[in-house]
This record gives sequence, structure tokens and C-alpha cells, in this order.
Amino acid sequence: MGFAPSARAIDHGKGQPGFCTSPTGVTVVVDFQDLGGTTIVRCYPQGTRGTGLDALKGAGFQVAGVARWGEAFICRVENRPSAVEVLPIQGREGYRELCVDTPPAAGYWSYWHAGNNCAWTYSQWGVKNRDFVQGGFEGWTFSLNATADSNPVPRVAPVRPGTAGQSCVAKEEPKPDTDDPNERQVPAAQTPLTQRKPDPTTTTTAARETAQPVPGGQVTPSSGAALPPPMPRTVSAKPDPANNVAFTGGEGAPDVNEVLADQSGSSPLAPWVAGGVVLLLAAATGYTATRRARARES
Amino acid sequence: MRTATYFLPRELHPAAWWLWALGLAVAASRTTNPWLLGTILAVAGYVVVARRTDAPWAMAFRMYLYLGAAIVFFRVFFRFVFGGAEGETILVRLPEIPLPEWAAGIRLLGAVSAESLLGGFYDGLRLATMVVCLGAANALANPKRLLKAMPPALYEVGTAVIVALSVFPQLAESVVRVRRARKLRGGGGKRFHVLRAIMIPVLADALDRSLRLAASMDSRGYGRAGMVDARKRLVTGALMIIGLLGVCVGVYATLDGSTPRYLAGPFLAGGLVVGLLGFRTAGARVQRSRYRPGQWNLAEVVVALCGIAVAVVLFTTSSVDPTNLNPSLIILSWPMLSWAPLCGVLVGVLPAFLTPVPDTEKVPA
Repeated sequence: MGFAPSARAIDHGKGQPGFCTSPTGVTVVVDFQDLGGTTIVRCYPQGTRGTGLDALKGAGFQVAGVARWGEAFICRVENRPSAVEVLPIQGREGYRELCVDTPPAAGYWSYWHAGNNCAWTYSQWGVKNRDFVQGGFEGWTFSLNATADSNPVPRVAPVRPGTAGQSCVAKEEPKPDTDDPNERQVPAAQTPLTQRKPDPTTTTTAARETAQPVPGGQVTPSSGAALPPPMPRTVSAKPDPANNVAFTGGEGAPDVNEVLADQSGSSPLAPWVAGGVVLLLAAATGYTATRRARARES
Repeated sequence: MRTATYFLPRELHPAAWWLWALGLAVAASRTTNPWLLGTILAVAGYVVVARRTDAPWAMAFRMYLYLGAAIVFFRVFFRFVFGGAEGETILVRLPEIPLPEWAAGIRLLGAVSAESLLGGFYDGLRLATMVVCLGAANALANPKRLLKAMPPALYEVGTAVIVALSVFPQLAESVVRVRRARKLRGGGGKRFHVLRAIMIPVLADALDRSLRLAASMDSRGYGRAGMVDARKRLVTGALMIIGLLGVCVGVYATLDGSTPRYLAGPFLAGGLVVGLLGFRTAGARVQRSRYRPGQWNLAEVVVALCGIAVAVVLFTTSSVDPTNLNPSLIILSWPMLSWAPLCGVLVGVLPAFLTPVPDTEKVPA
């Protein structure tokens, strides 16, 4: 079994730090909100279409999905919230995100998107079910003890540097019209940016009331049940880069595998010891078994 | 001297081995880390080989190993068949079989990724380890002595429980016996013929022995209800069955971290209360003496404590530090391991050294 070398927290081989500088590609904003930690902004400079998950991973972020849904439901970005981190979720004292089942509605990564110079919009689609907008933005904010109305919006305005003051040119995305978690967004015709009609940043009403969030909607074929339907949609106010929080491009982010090894107290020697013990016990088992079989026959 | 008699060859109380094996199985159910699961398998295998008797059910341990291997194989195989494309490291691209519209969501063949194969392997290995742990209990514990040690209150359900527990060991034992008999007769033949020549005697043998067991238990007064009126029996039976169901649901929910918590504590407590009520009413009218009851000495305590210790260590480490117990499959890497769970699992091997050998070894055949 030959495994790929360990990935870094920020895979510097993927994506670029900071905003995208051209209308090609998509800028990904990760806002840790109440978890603490500096917001990270990175660019996924790919001109062809791809899903929200492609953008997140392509920008170099290290993510983890829950065991139940796989990467269709992102439970950790940059190892936050880590398995040893106690989340102050109201009503669930001592909760830790184990990434086994769907995270609680009071503590999960919410998935947002925006066109350039548009308002942040809570995604109605799963991360694997929608395509990112070229020249636009993908946002991930940790929603802690928030309701559907108070979901925190990414605190970095979706405005590429040098384009402030331009009008919003992204189309409003249609909502999913079935409950099928495998439904995919119909890819929009790739019209040139200049021909797109400006879109008013009005608030659309909630489609469905539910207690469970959905940053992702795709189910692995083997898992029979369906993901919970999405949270109601919210739209932020007109973006203003002046209100941006401090952010980095993630250049100084530590190696996630090192962080994990550190947090779990794991030792590089322990697997070797385990392997050695298994071999030793197997040899002892074989020896004892043959000895006793011989004693029985005699 | 206490130490002089401690290691005198004798058969340990079967409940001690069951506690030990269930502790290992509970530990295995808490982790998908292949290092830990492999260690648990090695520990169970070694203890079985070191401390089993020459009884037929003890010799059937390898059947559980075969069963475990089959479980792992099928888990991985199904990831091949029903789409294993979760993850980035695609190993092979099999031609995908197109399915009609109504079968949307099901995928046949197609790309297979290392992540999903490993997921299937870890998952299958966990189940296989639990099965092998139960096999270890069946190999080490004498089912007939277990039946004898059953508290009187359990006689109503005890028969059913023992038959259920001993069905698989009896089947495995029958397979071993029939194969040995065939070998002695020098039987060969075509493959289909061999299957028939083994399957039919095995099934007939297992059925015969189950009936014999039932008859012998009947003659010893198990499940006899001549003196009690029907309504009372119905109430006791219902109380016990409901209690046991509640305990089963509660134990399942307690052990499985992803089930809702309200299924765990309340069901376990409620089931215990109802079951104990049933035990009381049933035990009040069963009065039997017991011939040479099984001993429960220091060695039994050691065995049981070792098993419980393994489970406790895995439980505490999984709530303190769950990172290593379920290795991430999103980024492929060698699963990490920390010392605490490894040392905890290794406690399980102590019964191989700290218990007296079974006395059958000393008795000439």
C-alpha cells in the first residue's frame, strides 16, 4: 500500500494566496468566526467549470467530510473545529466535532457564494451539487449558535481588488426544485460577463424550514438515506470592502498532519510497535498451536 | 500457599472468558484504526491458542477466522461493485454499467478510489474483529458449563439464549467433525459432490445435537412450567422479553456513538428495571439445587478485569482523543497511533500468562 505524501494545511501547490486578480477562477474565503483564527482568502485560478468542492480544495484548503456523507458535508476546514476542540454549543455541553454524523445546526460550516460585487448568498445547493461562479466568490463561515436568520456572513466583502464600485453581474441561482440530494444544478450557459444582466440584491424568502443545515447535498450511492434539506436562504447587505476583517492568504498555516499528530498525542513509533507486537503474537500463536497439536497426536 | 494453587490446571469459569471477549469486542467496535484492530485480532488469537481446551468447540476457532476474512473480502468487493469513487486517488477505472432512470443513485462499477477501498477495508476489519472476539469466547468458554452457571431466574429464557449462543459453535464443530471423518475415509470426488457430502451431514448433525441439547435440558427441568398458571407465566415472559429488548437497544445505543442519546441511558435503565422485575417473579418460583457450582476465583477476576480494562481504555481514549481511532480517509496517509489505546489493547493478552492452563492438557487422551 503506497500512500500519497501528506497534504499540508494549505497546499501551496494548489491555488494562490489572496484574491483572484482576474475574472478567471474563483476566490475562496474561509472565516472561522467564533472559532477564532485569522480569516483566510485564497484563489482557485481555474477557468473551466467545477463544483464548490473543487474550488475549496483547489484553492489549497484542507477539508474533512463527515464519515456518513463523505465530502458532501464538510465538517472541518483547516482542521477546525478539531476533534479535541470543545464547541460551546448551547444545550450540548462538551460537544466535540467527531465528523461521524451530520454536525448540529448550532455548529457547522455554512456555505455561501457571491458574484463579484454582489452580496453573499447562503447556498441552497450542496457543495458537490453547484458550480462556482467564474470571477466570483465562495464563502465558508463557521455558524455557531446561530439561527437561520443570524447565520454569520463571511466578513470579507466579495469584491476583487480594483473592481470596487462596479455593479453586481452574477445571475441569481435557481433553487433546487426537488428533494433529491443527487440533483445537480443545471450548468448556466457560459455567457460572457459583459452580457450578463445586473441582478438586484434583494432578499429571497426561505424555501424550507428545517433544523438541519446543508453545506452539502450529495449522497454517496451506497448510503440509502437522504441528506437533510437546506437551511433558509439569507442574503447579506451590499458588500463594502471597508468593513473587511483582517485576513491572510494562509501562507503561514501549519502542516495539518503535524497538528493532528500533535493533538492526538500519536507517536511515530507506536505503529511500528503495534506491527511488531502483531507479528510476535502471530508467531507465538503458530508455535503454540503446532506444539499443542503435536502433543495431542502423541 | 495461594500462588501454588493459583496455577493448578483447571477450566476457568465460562462467564469470565465471555466478559473478557466482550470487552475486546466492545473495544473493537470503538475504532476503525487498522493497527488497533490488528492488535486486537492477534491478542484474541494468541489467548485462544494458549488457553483453549481440546474440546470440539475450541477447535472450531478457525471457522471464525475464515468468516472474518470473508467479511473483509466482501466489504472491499462491494466497494468495487457499487461505486467507490469517493476520494481523489483513483486506482482503476472499470467500465461503468449504465442503469435505468429508476435506479438513480446506484452505480455499478466505474472508477474505484483507494479511499473508498480503504474505507471498506477498515469497516470490514472492525466487524471481522468483533466476530473473531465472539469466536474467541466460544472457543474458550465451555457452553455446557455456561448453561450450568445460569441464574435460576434466567431459566425461562436461558434455554433460548444458550441454544442461540451455541448454534454457531455447533455448526463449526460439525464442519470440523464431518471433514475429519471424510478425511479418514479418504473421500475425494468432484467439487459439487464434496459440497453435498459436507453440507448435508453438517446440517443434520447440528439439528440432531440441538434437539439433543433441548431434550437434555428439558429432562433437567429447564423451562418447565407445570406448577405455574398460564397468566403468571405470560406476565413473567413478557416482562423478561421487554426487559431484554430494552437492554439490547440501550446497549447498542451506548456503544454506537452516532445513535441519539435518548436511546442510550433511558432504554438501558428501563430495560434493566423491567428485566429485573421479570427475574424476580421468575426466580421466586424456581428452586433448584446445583451440583458442584462453577468456581469464581482470582483467576476469573483477572480475566474479566483484563477484558473490561481494554474496553474502558478504548472508551476513554475515544472521548478524549478521537483523532486516531477513526483514521481520516479524506487525505490518504498511514493511520496514526498513540500509546494509550495500544497499551490498553495489549492488556487483553495478559490472561494468556496469568491464568491456569486448562486441565485437559494434562489428561491423557
